[in-house]
Amino acid sequence: MLRRHWLIAWSFAIVAAAALVGVVEWHWRALGQRPNIRDSAQLWSIQRDRVYATDKIPLAILGASRIEFGLDVKLLKELLPKYRPLMLAQNAHYPLAVLRDLAADERFRGVVLCDLESSGLYKMYTEMQQPLVDYRRHQWSPSWRVHRLLLNWWQAHAVVANPDLGLIAAARRALGEASTPQPDYFTFHTDRSGDIDFTRTDLAAARRHFSELAADPKHLRALVEPQQWFADLADVYAWTRRIQTRGGEVIFYQSPTGPALHAAELQIHPPELYWQRFAANTTAPVIDAADLPALRAFNEPDESHLDFRDKPAYTRALVDTLIERGLLKR
Amino acid sequence: MQFDSFTFLVFFALVLGAYNALHAWSARKWLLLVASYLFYAAWNPAFVLLLAGSTTLDWWIAQRIHAAAGPARRRWITLTLIVNLGVLGLFKYQRFLLDNIAAALASFGVHYVPAPLDFVLPAGISFYTFHSLSYCIDVYRGTFAPTRNWRDYALYVGFFPQLVAGPITRFPQMRPQIESPRGTTRDGLGLGCALLVLGLFEKCVLADSIFAPVADAFFNAPGDAATAVAWSGVLAFSGQIFCDFAGYSTCAIGTALAFGFTLPTNFRLPYAALGFSDFWRRWHISLSSWLRDYLYVSLGGNRRGEWRTYRNLLLTMLIGGLWHGAAWTFVIWGGLHGLYLAAERLLREHVWPKNWQAPAFLRVGYMLLTLLLVALAWIFFRAPDLHTALHILALLRPSVIDALLDPAQKLALLAFAGVVAVHWAMRDRDLKEFCLAVPAPAFGLALGLLIAAIVLAPGDSHAFIYFQF
Repeated sequence: MLRRHWLIAWSFAIVAAAALVGVVEWHWRALGQRPNIRDSAQLWSIQRDRVYATDKIPLAILGASRIEFGLDVKLLKELLPKYRPLMLAQNAHYPLAVLRDLAADERFRGVVLCDLESSGLYKMYTEMQQPLVDYRRHQWSPSWRVHRLLLNWWQAHAVVANPDLGLIAAARRALGEASTPQPDYFTFHTDRSGDIDFTRTDLAAARRHFSELAADPKHLRALVEPQQWFADLADVYAWTRRIQTRGGEVIFYQSPTGPALHAAELQIHPPELYWQRFAANTTAPVIDAADLPALRAFNEPDESHLDFRDKPAYTRALVDTLIERGLLKR
Repeated sequence: MQFDSFTFLVFFALVLGAYNALHAWSARKWLLLVASYLFYAAWNPAFVLLLAGSTTLDWWIAQRIHAAAGPARRRWITLTLIVNLGVLGLFKYQRFLLDNIAAALASFGVHYVPAPLDFVLPAGISFYTFHSLSYCIDVYRGTFAPTRNWRDYALYVGFFPQLVAGPITRFPQMRPQIESPRGTTRDGLGLGCALLVLGLFEKCVLADSIFAPVADAFFNAPGDAATAVAWSGVLAFSGQIFCDFAGYSTCAIGTALAFGFTLPTNFRLPYAALGFSDFWRRWHISLSSWLRDYLYVSLGGNRRGEWRTYRNLLLTMLIGGLWHGAAWTFVIWGGLHGLYLAAERLLREHVWPKNWQAPAFLRVGYMLLTLLLVALAWIFFRAPDLHTALHILALLRPSVIDALLDPAQKLALLAFAGVVAVHWAMRDRDLKEFCLAVPAPAFGLALGLLIAAIVLAPGDSHAFIYFQF
């Protein structure tokens, strides 16, 4: 074998790699980018593994972005010291698959706070979060847990841990003549909750997106007729009962939305044909924030989500509501 | 535990440190064995028992084979074949077998629904089963005497760099390395870590970040994709499967080298192969040589006439295909390669002029033809079912409806062209020798670029494709 001066080679390698990564990091930071945690099936699995807590009552929070970016999990822990809040919501995905997964898990005996609106109960959307469940069932391992915990640290400190700012994304942008990515207007946490800062984004564009959606005649009709929708709920009732039979509880909750989006929802899914029929037939308590002034009062700058500055007050209001109704205990 | 995880980097550093802190060779071997079982337990701790049980049984049976004479030897080897292939069949092929029985009965009007047996496939079971089988068959053939040391044999089967996805080593390759003391050397550590970086570059940057998104998007929903899009998907998977598996092998070889062990080369620039027998001398070499030595030769090889040779080639490749996965698509993939090999042999024997040196342009043309047919066969390997595979083949025909490629597809095609160009440029060179011939500063800078590319290509971690086999 030929001899090689390995110390020289590796010294050059480490210096070159550090210099290159450092330059890229500096470049992105100069453009306003900041480190941020990236959500993944691994991060979700860490939370999912904690639903078996025995020292505290597990409080599994299911839903999509509204609750993921609306609840202050740290504050929730303080307000509800008997509970262990676990954020299992997933941005842009309805949560029924996770509800089914928890129902099938005989070891889970906690409380589920499940945030969804009438369309979230569509049978055709049941599988949206199933890939998370499948990942945990088939690929999740102690080794990936250690990996993800170390990756959390890296993502919390390095801008270049963001795939959108990486080499491959840059090459694709160059080939597609796409523009430079803007800094995130949200901050994500390792507990899988997030903060949206609407001062860091084009708020008018964000609001326009949801307002146009709410005004588009194409979107102003239900995708499933009320009778069919109602008939499809049998599974949801069964999953709920299964959790309740074990001593757990499910609370169905509908987050507040802005006036335009709320009006559209009323038009698409008239409550008397959808939500109220569901509420009347499930064995679980059902809460619609629109019915409660304390929760309805919050402002959703983009019509759909809360600004992070409103999260503590909103979290307190929701906790107060749940306690007043005897669904949770302080 | 995957090589492309922070967990592995920590594990590697800790085990390497502890290995070199110990002085007694026996203690080092125990450490490597415990570390290997921990490495395996990181997937599913329960399957360590399966690995240890299978290892112990084969170690014991090999001694019985060696001690026995006459028909008793045959009984012992039959027993180990039944046990090893039975365990493999139970975990890997029972669903496939039952579904096919149900389909066959249905054609006779008998309705049979197999009971749902939802076994989790133990990672790397096909690999360590082949390790064990080769050991027992070689003892049966009298190639060597079995080891009496359980730990040495368990380390041969379970040595963590090669445990889950090869290279599939033979006992004579590993025995002298396990029985004679060794440790980390400057060259071993330097080159081993360099190979680890190269393997991670192939896996993280090329396979996962460039090829996988394009291949997955296309194969998961081919729809009515335009011709160019279909080709980009097929070539992206051709790039992905190579970079994923060769990346794993390179990491395995590098990791072993850091501990003072030399594993056999598993890939030798296969996309520069001139023909299919050349391809299989370059692709997954440890499996193709295993199939040759234990299956093709056992079937009679090329010793019983021309047609028997073709039959043996075909059978070997069909079984090789089935080894990869319990689905007809894998069998067809293997069958296609069997046909390619048989056709090539036929042409070489009867059409190709003896001792004729083909001009360069013909060599390039042959290389491209080989690459094209290999890529077409990959469709069956990757497609979820036969129907989808045939649909994808149809999409590859030139059509009047075409579409512009998106940036991800363009990048995948450029990267694939780059991979092929590197294979062609390096086809007659040895990677290790090449690495060592480059001046240290230039080598270091190249290594630095690879490390930076790995760090700057964060994305979803994909399981190595060959773990499922």
